Amino acid sequence: MTSFSPHRAFAVARKEVMHILRDPFTLALALGLPVMLVTFFGYAIDFEVKDIRLAVYDRDGGPAARRLKEIFSASGYFRPVEPEAAAGPIGMLDSGRASAALFLEPGFSRTIKGGGEAPAQFVLDGSDNSKAAAVAGYLPGIAGAARLRLSGPGGGEPFYAETRFLYNHELNSRWFTVPGLSAIIIGLLAILLTALTVAREWENGSMELLLSTPVRPLEIMAGKLVPYGVLVLAGVVFVYLSSRLVFGVPFEGGHLLYLAACVLFITAALSQGLLISVLARQQQVAMQFALITGLLPSMLLSGFIFPVESMPRFFRALTMLLAPRWFMAAVRGITLKGADLSELSEPFLALGLLAAGMLALALKKFKTDLEP
Amino acid sequence: MNDTVVPGRGDKGLLRNRVVEVENLTIRFGDFTAVDGVSFSVRKGEIFGFLGANGAGKTTTIRMLCGLLAPTSGVVRVGGLDFDDGGNGIKSIVGYMSQKFTLYDDLTVGENLDFAAGLRKLPAAAAEKRRAELFGMTGFDRPLTAKVSDLPGGIKQELALAAAMLHDPEIVFLDEPTSGVSPAARARFWGLIRRITAVGKTVIVTTHYMDEAEQCGRIALMRAGRIIALGSPDELKDSAFPGPMAEVDFQGSDPAAPIERLRKAPGLLALSPHGMRWHAAFSEGALMDAALSALPVSVRVRKIKPSLEDVFIRLAGGAQ
Repeated sequence: MTSFSPHRAFAVARKEVMHILRDPFTLALALGLPVMLVTFFGYAIDFEVKDIRLAVYDRDGGPAARRLKEIFSASGYFRPVEPEAAAGPIGMLDSGRASAALFLEPGFSRTIKGGGEAPAQFVLDGSDNSKAAAVAGYLPGIAGAARLRLSGPGGGEPFYAETRFLYNHELNSRWFTVPGLSAIIIGLLAILLTALTVAREWENGSMELLLSTPVRPLEIMAGKLVPYGVLVLAGVVFVYLSSRLVFGVPFEGGHLLYLAACVLFITAALSQGLLISVLARQQQVAMQFALITGLLPSMLLSGFIFPVESMPRFFRALTMLLAPRWFMAAVRGITLKGADLSELSEPFLALGLLAAGMLALALKKFKTDLEP
Repeated sequence: MNDTVVPGRGDKGLLRNRVVEVENLTIRFGDFTAVDGVSFSVRKGEIFGFLGANGAGKTTTIRMLCGLLAPTSGVVRVGGLDFDDGGNGIKSIVGYMSQKFTLYDDLTVGENLDFAAGLRKLPAAAAEKRRAELFGMTGFDRPLTAKVSDLPGGIKQELALAAAMLHDPEIVFLDEPTSGVSPAARARFWGLIRRITAVGKTVIVTTHYMDEAEQCGRIALMRAGRIIALGSPDELKDSAFPGPMAEVDFQGSDPAAPIERLRKAPGLLALSPHGMRWHAAFSEGALMDAALSALPVSVRVRKIKPSLEDVFIRLAGGAQ
């Protein structure tokens, strides 16, 4: 009875392609979103923190203190600002005229010269969480450089701490974010476009026409998902090309593996969109659902911006159920680490399960909804 | 009133020509019984109409006949097929045109028809031949490359009909095919329906236009999920109004008192307002003459034939 007809599925797919080509909204979204996101995250948003205004309260005034100040400003992360005696360091932080303050007590240079340990106090505005974390990350490097330079070559083998960042040596945030954009594009485009397509058929009554013919739900579903899958994949290719060619993001792993991860995630996302469409039946409602369940997890809970490891326990557990998180892990593993399937077995297994589960759920709901 | 005679069921000779047979068809949605124990049959080549108010169950009945809805109970046989396979057998032999315009506005005429042909798995050559036939019959003369959104409403309906008939179905279901189109386009569309049945196809149509119902071979009058009368327009009129009917025009005088008296007149079957005039039906001509002669002289009275609207008001209870 359930004889799948490729002929009918193809008829649906061909019609869907014509819809896409005729609909300025779909086309603009499908073509414009990847370009916009890449420009936005590639150029405008920079997660690296630079030019932090540093107020130095130098009560020592010696040569070592001066050199330490130079080291801070030479790092490129800090820009010294004139300390205001009246406001005091806390006042400067409060008013935002400085983001960090460095205190050097009298006798700093003398202690250093004598080969002792001289404390320097560093105060940081912690109200901007991400900035503070970045600065805290820079400090050991600066401290190491300072130790090396201040104690001088005569002081025997100098000890310093060095933090080495593997895989992304320069901690270039673009390397990190731009490959991850494919998750946003799939999560948003695939879910939104499919959510609208079935709801549109319900809204203008053409679903009746479809259902009055012998076409099977599975054929409608395949015919609808494949064109949008291809469209979304084109967006992913655009992100890939722009990240390689424009931003010089390295690609260490296998392309086939990358494609497999994309296909799995696209399947999960398209199925989710279909499920939304079946449940909502109205384009307005479907669009809101799609934005909430598509964009938010991809943006906020995938590790794209906020690391999964630092999320509260509940959200960390929640991300286990979200395909974007696993896709992000797989993509970063493939692009930056060059990981192979055996190393990425966990995210791939999770992606596969979520995709299969979502597809089965959507198909079941779609079938029971359409069959008399 | 529900045990109205159903004329036209006795002709056994036409039994084998019945392309649609329905017995005790019932569908419930939760507690709501949308169609309640409906039985009828439709003959080959007939224009069979469903007449009734919105929510009377016309569309639901038609959708069950097309295989779009599963009946809760009862028997549906369409073209010798029943619902056992989930309606797919029925779907492949009938054509269905729903109330809403169901083609795609953003596609062209040709693309819409190609899509319909694709869903029916018609070979390209056959689809093209059939399209030419249908265009010839409907007089459709727009280019295949015209975008559907640019077509006027009546032309769109003709195109929708062509799409529903592309696979050459023997039975065509039309659910309020002329809602929202101009009177001229409606008349043209009904000409088309007659041409379809002239070549031996069967048309089952729902409407709430009385003038359209008059053009049906037989009509099933529906109210609250039941068929309350079934027959040709003349049979329905005869059974609802066995006696004569008069139109009473008060010509501006106050009708309240004379209408009150008329209501109590012996032999009165029905009295209902039609705009500024009233229709009064009696069981016998003599009783009618007596009642009408008692009216004030300023009132103009003339004998009329009952219309389907009178039948509908009498049997379906009008607005109540």
